[in-house]
Amino acid sequence: MTAASPLLAIRGLHAAYGKIEALKGVDVEINSGEIVALIGANGAGKSTLMMTIFGKPRARAGQILYEGKDITAVPTHEIAHLRIAQSPEGRRIFPRMSVAENLQMGADVTESTPAERESTLERVFALFPRLKERFAQRGGTLSGGEQQMLAIGRALMSRPRLLLLDEPSLGLAPLIARQIFDAIRTLNRQDGLTVLIVEQNANHALKLAHRGYVMVNGLITLAGSGAELLQRPEIRAAYLEGGRH
Amino acid sequence: MTAPSTHTTKPATGIPALLKTGFINAVIALVLFSLMVGIRTEAGSEGQLTYWTRFGELASLVAAVFGGSIVIELLRQWIGPTGAEKLVPPAVQSGMSFVGRYLAPALLIFTLLVPVIFYNQRYILDLAILVLTYVMLGWGLNVVVGLAGLLDLGYVAFYAVGAYSYALLATNFGWSFWICLPLAGILAAFWGVLLGFPVLRLRGDYLAIVTLAFGEIIRLVLINWQTLTGGPNGVSGIPRPTLFGIPLNNSDEGLAAKLGIEYSPTHRIVFLFYLILALALLTNWVTIRLRRLPIGRAWEALREDEVACRALGINTTTTKLTAFATGAMFGGFAGAFFATRQGFISPESFTFQESALVLAIVVLGGMGSQLGVALAALSMIGGFELFRGLETYRMLVFGWAMVLIMIWRPRGLVGHRAPTVYLKKAQAISSDLVKEGHG
Repeated sequence: MTAASPLLAIRGLHAAYGKIEALKGVDVEINSGEIVALIGANGAGKSTLMMTIFGKPRARAGQILYEGKDITAVPTHEIAHLRIAQSPEGRRIFPRMSVAENLQMGADVTESTPAERESTLERVFALFPRLKERFAQRGGTLSGGEQQMLAIGRALMSRPRLLLLDEPSLGLAPLIARQIFDAIRTLNRQDGLTVLIVEQNANHALKLAHRGYVMVNGLITLAGSGAELLQRPEIRAAYLEGGRH
Repeated sequence: MTAPSTHTTKPATGIPALLKTGFINAVIALVLFSLMVGIRTEAGSEGQLTYWTRFGELASLVAAVFGGSIVIELLRQWIGPTGAEKLVPPAVQSGMSFVGRYLAPALLIFTLLVPVIFYNQRYILDLAILVLTYVMLGWGLNVVVGLAGLLDLGYVAFYAVGAYSYALLATNFGWSFWICLPLAGILAAFWGVLLGFPVLRLRGDYLAIVTLAFGEIIRLVLINWQTLTGGPNGVSGIPRPTLFGIPLNNSDEGLAAKLGIEYSPTHRIVFLFYLILALALLTNWVTIRLRRLPIGRAWEALREDEVACRALGINTTTTKLTAFATGAMFGGFAGAFFATRQGFISPESFTFQESALVLAIVVLGGMGSQLGVALAALSMIGGFELFRGLETYRMLVFGWAMVLIMIWRPRGLVGHRAPTVYLKKAQAISSDLVKEGHG
């Protein structure tokens, strides 16, 4: 909030599917080295924000600044070259391709050297040893948690500076979800990776994040540090109590 | 047949269930056949309608359906539900992997020796050339359908573009086969991109319809553009290929005369055989190479999930267009070969049936599997010839064979897909990495 030039700054962003407005002027800032959580109910526009950063759908109005440069009109496939990586909602791994090939797909777009690729692969395997065990298996044969690890690992293979995670705990057993969150924390602390995480599991996400934004009906209604938001009575009522996972 | 899923969840066992199934099928047969078989109608001598009943035949048909459906039901219960993976004993498994490892090299060596073994059997050589043409077409279409997952029902269009490119360039300008071959491939690839542009947003059924229409458009243009293509009369007198300028004929300039051996028309057939074999192997080699490169992986990823591809920074537009262009180029090569082999081409050779046949080869072979496509081409084209003695029943037998393959091997003859990325180091996973709980 205080940094002079955030890594990613979203200013007055509008996006729509046909006539249905999904984002109605969203302002979000993500500083380098932060974990920022975006929480909100179903249909609040969280995933749309994630996808609009990647240019699908295109922003109707507003600006997306990455490292101070306007990337609002950059084609979708070029955004990955800017070292922004995304682990999309629903994991979307390639089911008939092997784990190794899935990871390689993440590395293919970047201009990294084989040595860099090798070290990134080692890093991914250190974070998610299960992927190393299963590297020759087809992606579709993995369990849900392993598929999520693969989706994150695939995103990491492009050596991103900013990682966008869409609902990483969706449909996972609590124990596995915790492993995923631990890995995200490790990536942030040890590798200095900046993370924007969209979650319905507000409790987990706000504990993990430095800062959080609450989204309702395409607008940011609350912002603050993770701990602060966790204490807010309206947050507790809306997203935590009764909805605790 | 009823859906197998009903049997996997609740297997119908016992005599009452069997009788019930048989009875239901018999009733359906009765309804269906009562008019078709039960009543025979004919125009009488004065044009009036005469008819008579054939209840005996009807009864025997219904009885046959009743008995047959019980037999099928028993067989199904005995074999077990289709689709379920059966446990294979290790000995059989290792035997199968042994066959799998050596089948492709053995087939290749056999293919190389075909002209030697069957030198005096012109019929078999011609058939082998035909099979190899379809192997090449299958491998070409495999890039589009098997790897990139774009259902193309108009592949024959590129075959036609290649064939007409060579035929027209050779007859009008007298260019040699070896100059025209790459040109035919480039022109076909160009048309592939041209088809690719309008269908970039389409997938599945919609894409299939547009490609089907594209195939028909090309054929209709060939029929109606009489001044260029000769219309339905086609192009005749297409030059035969030469061995780098040396013709394979009975003249003093011919290869036989230069080598000082006696001329035989089989020389040309053998040459054509090795030519199409080389072209097919080129297709195979390029495809295998591309699969290991980012572009080939991108094709396969595109087949799996387009949204994920975009998120990973893949330009889906160029990826799709290159798939169309590569597949079309190989179709064009095969077309040029077809033209030089036949010496005569007409639009009749490029009907939808050809597209369907090539697509059937790819699907039956197992989408994306090179060996499977080759085996499927061999069994489809070879099968056509094998069943020639059955005359009118040929297509019936053929259709049955296809249905049976799809029941027992729904992913095609070779459904296995070999991965292209391996870890470099030998995998020794330290125990501290794998100690976590399994969930």
